[in-house]
Amino acid sequence: MISAYFIHLLILVGIYLILAISLQISIGFTGMLNLGHIAFFAIGAYTSALLVLNGFPFWLALLSAGIVAMVFGYALSLPIKKLKGDYLALATMGFSFVVYAVLLNWTELTRGPLGIPGIPKPSFLGINFSSNFSFLILILIITLVCYFLINRITNSPFGKVLESIRDDELASKTLGKNTSKAKSISLMVSAFFAGIAGSLYAHYITFIDPSSFTLMQLIPVLCIVIIGGLASMKGTLIATFIIVLLPEPLRFIGFPSSVVGPMRQIIYALFLLLILLYKPKGIYGKVEME
Amino acid sequence: MSIIFQLLINGIIAGAIYALVASGFSLIYNTCKFVNFAHGAVVAFSAYIVYFFFSTLNFNFGFSVVFALLFASILGWAMNHFVYKRFRDRKASNSILLIASFGLLILIESLILILFGADVKTINYIQVTKGIEIFGAIITPLQIFIVVSSAVIFLALFLFMKKTKLGKAMRAVSNNKDVAEILGINSQTIYSWSFIIGSFIAGIAGILIGLEQNLEPTMGTNLIVKGFTAAIIGGVGNVYGAILGALLLGLAENFGIWYLPSGYKDAIAFIILFIFLLFKPKGLFGIKREGDREQ
Repeated sequence: MISAYFIHLLILVGIYLILAISLQISIGFTGMLNLGHIAFFAIGAYTSALLVLNGFPFWLALLSAGIVAMVFGYALSLPIKKLKGDYLALATMGFSFVVYAVLLNWTELTRGPLGIPGIPKPSFLGINFSSNFSFLILILIITLVCYFLINRITNSPFGKVLESIRDDELASKTLGKNTSKAKSISLMVSAFFAGIAGSLYAHYITFIDPSSFTLMQLIPVLCIVIIGGLASMKGTLIATFIIVLLPEPLRFIGFPSSVVGPMRQIIYALFLLLILLYKPKGIYGKVEME
Repeated sequence: MSIIFQLLINGIIAGAIYALVASGFSLIYNTCKFVNFAHGAVVAFSAYIVYFFFSTLNFNFGFSVVFALLFASILGWAMNHFVYKRFRDRKASNSILLIASFGLLILIESLILILFGADVKTINYIQVTKGIEIFGAIITPLQIFIVVSSAVIFLALFLFMKKTKLGKAMRAVSNNKDVAEILGINSQTIYSWSFIIGSFIAGIAGILIGLEQNLEPTMGTNLIVKGFTAAIIGGVGNVYGAILGALLLGLAENFGIWYLPSGYKDAIAFIILFIFLLFKPKGLFGIKREGDREQ
């Protein structure tokens, strides 16, 4: 019983970790305050769920989830290329509202507010990952691959270009870097991994509806990124554990379930405010948000 | 013909409501120079205060309104004094202030959810009456009241900004904080006042919206999103622009659902936002601001 509960928490840690490190690419490394990340997560979840329910294999759906999210990342990068600071934040947030409205209203495809039930657990290379323990193994492998890939990208020369954009875009341009292209690629890579996380989420929970992808759901991810520290992979890893496990004791105090949800949001919001006030660089962050 | 007229009236009513949210938001944005998402939470909370005093405790309506407005102003002042002021003292960037205000919005919304529950509430002060027919379009007395009272508030705000000493000081700080300080204006006091006045207007908005629509804990997010879209359309740095932007937004939404399913109403605001960000980021009457759009 207890082990089943811990397996569930670890799976959540894995999904949140992929989501948070993918958000680190745009916020932490490139310095783009992207508040539309949850939309890529949603696009990945819906893409993957719909493909598998229409008979496609899981691995193809997983990959497509990333690619479709990436295409949307490219589309979003076009109008926001020249925006900065709060304008960028508002525009990306607007994007997530548009995606939400489409998910809610395109009922022929998404079933709207009814959501998509009965998303099968993945099976892959002839192995069925229907038990939570085997799903944990799958998540662990995919999370490690994502972590490794993002680590490689951010440590590559391209990653350094991104960091130079964050620190001084003009200087980066002076050195002949095509910064708007780099920002566009950064957003696409960020969206790709968010799509992967969305796919895993959909196949783990087995039910998705638009309400799983609102701005409220962005708060824990944003918390992780800021608490871990901008552009810090190690910090993000630690912060993911903190944020996923922190509100868990609420379950055992005996609050009614209608209070636990908002309580959790209050804890996240308070934690976010306190970190921003007293430790704005997060646990391992090197830079403060501009 | 009567459909067009009805859409026009609906658009003006929606626009008046958005303008109330946008003008308070814009007032705070102009002096303090950051996006205060928590403004939406002030709107929602004051609507819930009226609900609590009037519909639950059966207090006098006037008393409930006064109390809600007082509460809204204090909430705005407190947010500035206990949260944003500390960030400013630390010289935090406006992106950090934006995230902090986002955190506050979620905090207050969740608080409303715990205090009042997730179910939809209605204030029921004015019984649903038969609308008045003008050129085949129907408008209820309450809706006329909303439009008229918004117009009165905008006039008052205009006179306040133009004629009073405090209003002039606010414009000075908004224009150039350093010069204003040299001239002996205390910018911290001005920040406090712009939060108090902005939140007071948010309180009025909350009460009027609460009379017209149902109350939901997340109504604040939805309204602030419309409010800042209106502010960007009208031009950041200009309260009157925000009011005009709000009217345009209300009209665009209501005429938009002539072509699109009504569920897409909220998406229309963002499509307009994107168009403006792309082609006219300074908005209709915007003043150029440092770091607006760097090439």
